[in-house]
Amino acid sequence: MDSTEARLDRIRGKVPPRNHNARTIAALSSNPGCARRAIMDAAGADKQRLAAHAGFPAGFGQSQFAITRGNAFEAQVKANGCAELLRLLRDQLRLPIPEVSYDNLEEVGGDASRELRHARTRHLLMRTAASGRDAGTLFDHPLLRLEVGGRAVYLEPDLIAFRLNGRFHVVEIKSFAVIDGQADGDKVAAAVIQSAVYVLALRQLLAELGIGPDAVADEVILVCPENFANQPTAAALDVRKQLTVLRRQLARLQRVDTLLDLLPAALTFDLDPDPAGTPRRPAADLADAVRAVPARYAPECLASCEMCFFCRDEARGATAALGRAVRDELCGVEHVASVLSLARGADPGPGELAEAAQVLRSAARLRQEGLGEAV
Amino acid sequence: MLEKTGSDTVAGMAESIGALEERIELLRAQVRQALVGGNRERASELRRGLREAERAWHDALAALEQEPPEQQRPRDGRLLAGAAEGNARAQAGSAERGLAGPAAPPRLQLPLREQVHQALTLLTVPASPRLISAVHEALFAGAISTARLTSLRRDEERSFLVAPFARPYYLCAALTADLLAPVRGLLAVSTWPMERRVIGPLSPRVDYLTAAIQIAESVQRIPGPGPAAWRLLWRFAVNIPGGSAQAGEVDPATVARAARAEMEIHADADTATRGAAAARARRQLGDPEQLFGSRLRAAPQAGVGA
Repeated sequence: MDSTEARLDRIRGKVPPRNHNARTIAALSSNPGCARRAIMDAAGADKQRLAAHAGFPAGFGQSQFAITRGNAFEAQVKANGCAELLRLLRDQLRLPIPEVSYDNLEEVGGDASRELRHARTRHLLMRTAASGRDAGTLFDHPLLRLEVGGRAVYLEPDLIAFRLNGRFHVVEIKSFAVIDGQADGDKVAAAVIQSAVYVLALRQLLAELGIGPDAVADEVILVCPENFANQPTAAALDVRKQLTVLRRQLARLQRVDTLLDLLPAALTFDLDPDPAGTPRRPAADLADAVRAVPARYAPECLASCEMCFFCRDEARGATAALGRAVRDELCGVEHVASVLSLARGADPGPGELAEAAQVLRSAARLRQEGLGEAV
Repeated sequence: MLEKTGSDTVAGMAESIGALEERIELLRAQVRQALVGGNRERASELRRGLREAERAWHDALAALEQEPPEQQRPRDGRLLAGAAEGNARAQAGSAERGLAGPAAPPRLQLPLREQVHQALTLLTVPASPRLISAVHEALFAGAISTARLTSLRRDEERSFLVAPFARPYYLCAALTADLLAPVRGLLAVSTWPMERRVIGPLSPRVDYLTAAIQIAESVQRIPGPGPAAWRLLWRFAVNIPGGSAQAGEVDPATVARAARAEMEIHADADTATRGAAAARARRQLGDPEQLFGSRLRAAPQAGVGA
């Protein structure tokens, strides 16, 4: 039997692995049961190219306008030694006045290489955590590292604030507006889970330095524009739940070999590109290979996974494709066709489906009585 | 002020011409040295500078001849002298337009580096292009496009390397206190003491408070500050504890007082860091690095993480 690493390399094919970032790690937690995504992510496969070649391209990625807007807002909040951010932290979260120290970790002496920045981040955070006094409050763009599926992933939170109530706090700056104290729930959820990834990475870094997880707060600070102006506002959010989910997800990625055992040994997603980079592998062949790995499609995948259209097409006829709520309403029966046949009175056979069949039949009867037509 | 005669102008002109003559002398000597040293590339670069300076000298003479004695008055002799060394044509223009006085300042077109120098001199601390532009808009003559400032530091560095200390000042970098590398996105003036140009962890805040005090005092000083000046001051006031008494109201004296109060908390630690770093910079760095920072190269990489 090959090692896990060798198998993942074969599955990925002859291309360099795609790196995770906070967004992709956060996306992992949105559909934890999907083996297809787990395998592809663990192998670092280029899902976007695979989906496109298999005939289901997905227009993914962040809009250029959104990125520019986000950067402009972040620059405004951090301008002049984080003047606006300091006001927020002081007013809303009681940061003591003497805590204004600011270290920019975006580059080290004009060098922006990741290894160097990570080394410097480690060095500064260690010094801060160890001395506890006069050793830094705000760290701009530190570079953290997290092991994901056996690979080191570099992560870059917007800011880490220290000695806010005596602990490190991850600060995430987002450009979506908080209007009347309310923000878009999906966006907040995405921001929270991304921040949770940073909390995890920061804890891991400090653990390597022999500092316990208590040094990093469970609360992250989200900074957003308030109402319709560009004035920033801050709120503390609890990420304990997201941390649990992430930890489980990451542990699962480590155990990817158990998933691999269920798959054919010759499985590969290699596109067999010619020297110009054009894939030579037949699309149908690739699609078969992808189908060999079980997926668990849900409508939420459309927001977070490049393979979504492929999986949706494949899942046509399954109750899960209609969403988890619908699937639960239909008593967890897997296919729409079997739901209908059970409702029409088909024999469920002995066992677990008997109760479901009863419920579905009474639903069909109600519908018939209400609408006067058969299912 | 207004009854002063043109003699001031002439004096200013003469002074600027004097500066040009000195510069021409210096450049001539440098051309000769470069040729003797066999550095043809540098010599031709210097020659170009020399030709420009000579042209500026002729232009300035011509302007002096045409000067109607009773009519023109520059606002500030120093300003004229500074402009002359940068760009003689703009200088001649400013002599003609400068008489508009404070009532109609936007027509005064100084060269870009002069405008930046003005704003930085008012702030007295290293500042970002955005702040420089805002200060120039609020307290001088109109906003400076920040896009034009992005290449300024590089141009100044090139000019310094071609002819070191040929200009009275350079717009240079602020240096990080730990690695003495250039700080991203901050401009400073080369004539400032090194202590002011190194940036330690507390310095961004201290400089912010210093800038607030400087701006508050200018707003108090100038007659009838415009809405842009009040807006700028307000933006500082809200981010300083006790800086603004009520929403929408801002008083320069209160802002300055609040800024001084907070500054007292950080000042000692900051001064110590900056002093130590500045001493190190003077000891370790050559002239160009002292002004434009030393960049980390491959060798020290191993040392930083250890």
